[in-house]
Amino acid sequence: MSCSEDHTESVDCTVKPPVFLQIGDTKGDSARSGVCVVDVTLPYGKPINIEKITFKNYYTAYVTVRLLRRKAEKEGSTKWCTALTDLALMDNPHTDGGSQNYFSIHRRQMQVQPDHVESIRLILRQPSSAWRIFSLEDIRLFPHKELAPEKEVSDWLSDLIVVKQPPDLEGLPDPQTVSSSIQQMWALTEVMQANRTTASIGRFDVDGCYDINLLSLT
Amino acid sequence: MADKEKRRSAAVPSGMSAGKATKSDSDVEFLSQAGVGELLRGAILKMVEARSDDPIGFLADHFCNLASVTDSSPAGCGDEEQMNGGPVSACAQEQQHLNRALWHLRLAHHSQRSAFSNNVRVAYDLLNISACQSPVAEAPEGPDGSCSDDPIGAGVAGGGGVRGGLYTQTLQCLCSEGGVPASTSAPLLRRLHCQDHEVVPYDVFRHGVLTCAVFSDYIRQSQKLYAEVCCPHEGPASRALCMAVLGTLKEALETSTGCEPDCCVNANNKAYACVESNVKAIRYLEASAKISPNRLAQAMEGAQSRGPGGNMDAKEFENAAADLFITRVKVVF
Repeated sequence: MSCSEDHTESVDCTVKPPVFLQIGDTKGDSARSGVCVVDVTLPYGKPINIEKITFKNYYTAYVTVRLLRRKAEKEGSTKWCTALTDLALMDNPHTDGGSQNYFSIHRRQMQVQPDHVESIRLILRQPSSAWRIFSLEDIRLFPHKELAPEKEVSDWLSDLIVVKQPPDLEGLPDPQTVSSSIQQMWALTEVMQANRTTASIGRFDVDGCYDINLLSLT
Repeated sequence: MADKEKRRSAAVPSGMSAGKATKSDSDVEFLSQAGVGELLRGAILKMVEARSDDPIGFLADHFCNLASVTDSSPAGCGDEEQMNGGPVSACAQEQQHLNRALWHLRLAHHSQRSAFSNNVRVAYDLLNISACQSPVAEAPEGPDGSCSDDPIGAGVAGGGGVRGGLYTQTLQCLCSEGGVPASTSAPLLRRLHCQDHEVVPYDVFRHGVLTCAVFSDYIRQSQKLYAEVCCPHEGPASRALCMAVLGTLKEALETSTGCEPDCCVNANNKAYACVESNVKAIRYLEASAKISPNRLAQAMEGAQSRGPGGNMDAKEFENAAADLFITRVKVVF
């Protein structure tokens, strides 16, 4: 049901500045490897279950999503796991198809359940030398909302199921037969109501009297 | 056939066998000339549609009806005597039309939806023909004097609708034939009736006829209900019990009243339409839960202990039940 996903707000998270991995010494060599890492951390003590991750691409070819999950609620250790490997954002890394598209990764697309997540690491790859600068913009996380529990069974429904102590029917008519007669009468009335017509005779009078506005003064 | 003809030509010398052959031959011819095959086929089809409990009575009525049709139509128009006795014969013919229309309406129960609708259509067409129509149609050069007696007026060639008085009469007959006493059906007829000068279109006619048919069933059911509620040996039923039982029906009707079929749904928004029908279904379920045997047992038990005293007789019960129905009938406007 798509309507349950609307109006969800993204969770507050901190997107760290992208770190470009480099080969060799950081100081000397400025050759880019075409790999960049973006960390997204959630406020301490507030792990979330992710519904989806949305972002706008900027010339990134492939993205890998890794999650830091806590084993159980509040206890247990945290562990990194890979949710998605090399999702292609661009058809061809050298051309600009998909280079500035909006993307959304849903929890269904992930290989693991993104629950109790504390931190997310997005590994961006752009093997083409055409695009030296690449990143993801406007990264947002949406929490997974449990579907609202079924509305409480209304009183009337529970009345049907729960048989309280059978009432004392001494001297009273049989409820089954009375009920079936009443049901027939109710059904007949409903039939009559369902067959109403909107056709009119075109009367002007209301309850036998004419509306004063219809009288013309000449 | 050839050998039969040979036998016929040889019939003069030899009597017996040839006589039988001619008889069967002329029988077949006679039957085909009279169109009996069609007659019987029509009768059987009508019977299958009506599925009446009394097949012999039904067939008798059917042929009676046909006889009156064939009698009236050729003879009725262009007749000197007919024209002279204008208003009287017009009245009589109207009554005849009314009787035939009522016969058609009695054929199918309102729950047999398509058969009932067909019959209503036929009845409407029958009543649509005014007394003046046949002379006008068949003898266009006929004197205008005959048309002046026509209540609708000469302008309604082809039948613009059923005359209000005739329609009201139809409803009255339907109610009384259905076993509803006149006093009980009076409030209903006040809501449905039409003035004599008004012309009733088909939709209104159908609605009125269906409502009366349903109402007669409803009253019969309420009479049955009263018989169930009151203990036969102890006279009239207790007022408290009757009120309690009718109270549950009223509650159920009020619960399901919210889902009227004429609330408009935006056709563009299918999701909304789906929600609307869900809401309707839930309301119906809720209403029907209020008249379940358990609820009724509780209501009756409660009534016994703390209801008003006194008794309620059958007539009052019937009127109270009828009232629940009639308040929900839309007034013809």
